[in-house]
Amino acid sequence: MLSRTTACRGVQRAARTSAIRPVQRRGLAAPASGSFQYQSGDAKGVKFASRDFAGPTTTLALVSKSGTRYQALPGLAEALQNFAFRSTDRRSTLRIVREAELLGAELNSYHTRENLVLEAKFLRDDLPYFVELFGELAASTKYQPHVYTEEVLPLIHFAHQRFLANPTEMAVQSAHALAFHRGLGTPTASASTTPYTKYLDPEAIEWYSKIAYAKSNIAVVANGAEHSELSKWVNEFFDGVPSAPIEQVKTGTEQTTYFGGEERISHDRANAFVLAFPGSSSFTGKFYKPEIAVLGSLLGGQSSIKWSPGFSLLGNAKASPNTKVSTTSAIYSDAGLLYTTITGEASNVAKTAKSTVEVIQKIASGKITKDDITKAKAAAKFKELEFGQDVKAGLLLTGDGLVNNNQAYQIDEVAQKIDGVTEEQVKAAAKSLLENKATVSAVGDLFRLPYASELGLNV
Amino acid sequence: MSAPSLAPFILKRPWLQKWVTPLAKWYANAAGYRQLGLKADDLIPEENDTVLLALKRLPPNEAYDRVFRLRRAFQCSMSHSLLPKTEWTKPEEDTPYLSEVITEIETEMKEREDLESMVLQKRAKNAGH
Repeated sequence: MLSRTTACRGVQRAARTSAIRPVQRRGLAAPASGSFQYQSGDAKGVKFASRDFAGPTTTLALVSKSGTRYQALPGLAEALQNFAFRSTDRRSTLRIVREAELLGAELNSYHTRENLVLEAKFLRDDLPYFVELFGELAASTKYQPHVYTEEVLPLIHFAHQRFLANPTEMAVQSAHALAFHRGLGTPTASASTTPYTKYLDPEAIEWYSKIAYAKSNIAVVANGAEHSELSKWVNEFFDGVPSAPIEQVKTGTEQTTYFGGEERISHDRANAFVLAFPGSSSFTGKFYKPEIAVLGSLLGGQSSIKWSPGFSLLGNAKASPNTKVSTTSAIYSDAGLLYTTITGEASNVAKTAKSTVEVIQKIASGKITKDDITKAKAAAKFKELEFGQDVKAGLLLTGDGLVNNNQAYQIDEVAQKIDGVTEEQVKAAAKSLLENKATVSAVGDLFRLPYASELGLNV
Repeated sequence: MSAPSLAPFILKRPWLQKWVTPLAKWYANAAGYRQLGLKADDLIPEENDTVLLALKRLPPNEAYDRVFRLRRAFQCSMSHSLLPKTEWTKPEEDTPYLSEVITEIETEMKEREDLESMVLQKRAKNAGH
């Protein structure tokens, strides 16, 4: 038996400390929480934003509006991503790596459909070093032919192989291509459908870097840095960056339109089925529809609670526990895609796809309890806030918002918008999904996987 | 591999340069490789990692030209003949196309060695961590 004093000691201590020190941290969803908001600014044409998240480390990102959507030739975004942190005029690749290691930092670069991101995580004191490094990378990376053949090209080939072995990724890429054709539809991975190294050479990559890293196309975002500090160093170190793109490239800049359609790719490893519908743009864009996020979490599929299928409609409707279903609301600057990915054994995937369409029809016709919508709203809000709290996503969205729409991504406001969604809006959104053309892409055992017309969707 | 060279020492002293340049020109012509259509950099021994890597890094057209020059020189050498005078390498064509790449690789390797043997001193600010 625990003695009473032992059991209560922790509680007593907790009570004592909280009595001495009033609670300093505010709830994250509190509207005025200062640390949750990004402060933005402009330093000689370079946009930057920061939030002073308490803690000993900083995450710094250079977000450039040069993802696959904006690339003038296939593969440029990926090549540029792999050329990040390579030799510059002042220091070699090896020196960059060793210096970063000595400071205990992490360097990373990746690209999405719309953005190319260079990211560094480090101790707070080292901010000047990394701002300088980023300025240098953007202004004076050397695009040497031998670095391309010896280091960059093998990485691109590896990415291609990884892509080919991943049916889910193939299905998602194919759905995007069907939904948006060019621009947003350009695959982010070195897909088999594009001649992925045909148009690449060091000169072309260097030319693209002069567009991607122009002052008007980049934003520097920091998490865990003082705004005044960041402002000072960005002012100092980004002088060498070209102030305007070397050439105005129109690729991807036109308003995205939704097309829809069906694609079937055979694959012998696994099955993936993607059902996609037009979605909502990002909060900073013009076509923001909070009800799509709620609809996404209402359809759901993945449980957030252990040992339970969860409340989400698809989580309960899926054909077997081994079938994986997830619904994502992919948001881009001027369009979005709400898609459900189903993976698993072929016949189960087919059954689940059928019930997915039935579930959407059910929501559209209003046969849904208020309870479920309340749960979905709570889940969507939580997911949004958690996503925003996640440093990586926050940096990306903020940078993207700054470059595209001159506005930082403020998570608090997004959460408020989700709170305001009504039941009617969700039903109307579901109805509009069925009225529009759908996007269906099946990868895997095509004998078992259904056609869109068999599911009752028009493509 | 770049051999030790007096050139930087001489180039720094204009009076010495004036003296040595004619001598150097005479020597390069007398060495005989120009009469076989070669460049001085074609004579660098390639049986080591540095030069092999440098050869790999040559742009494709230069690598092709190099092979062409070498084969032509072998032919000449076997037939105990020289090229016609018009095809001799002109002094202005005799450029250090390979030694530049070699020095670049050598600086890379030296930097690596330097970084490997570096002695660290912690900043006073971070010493506690």
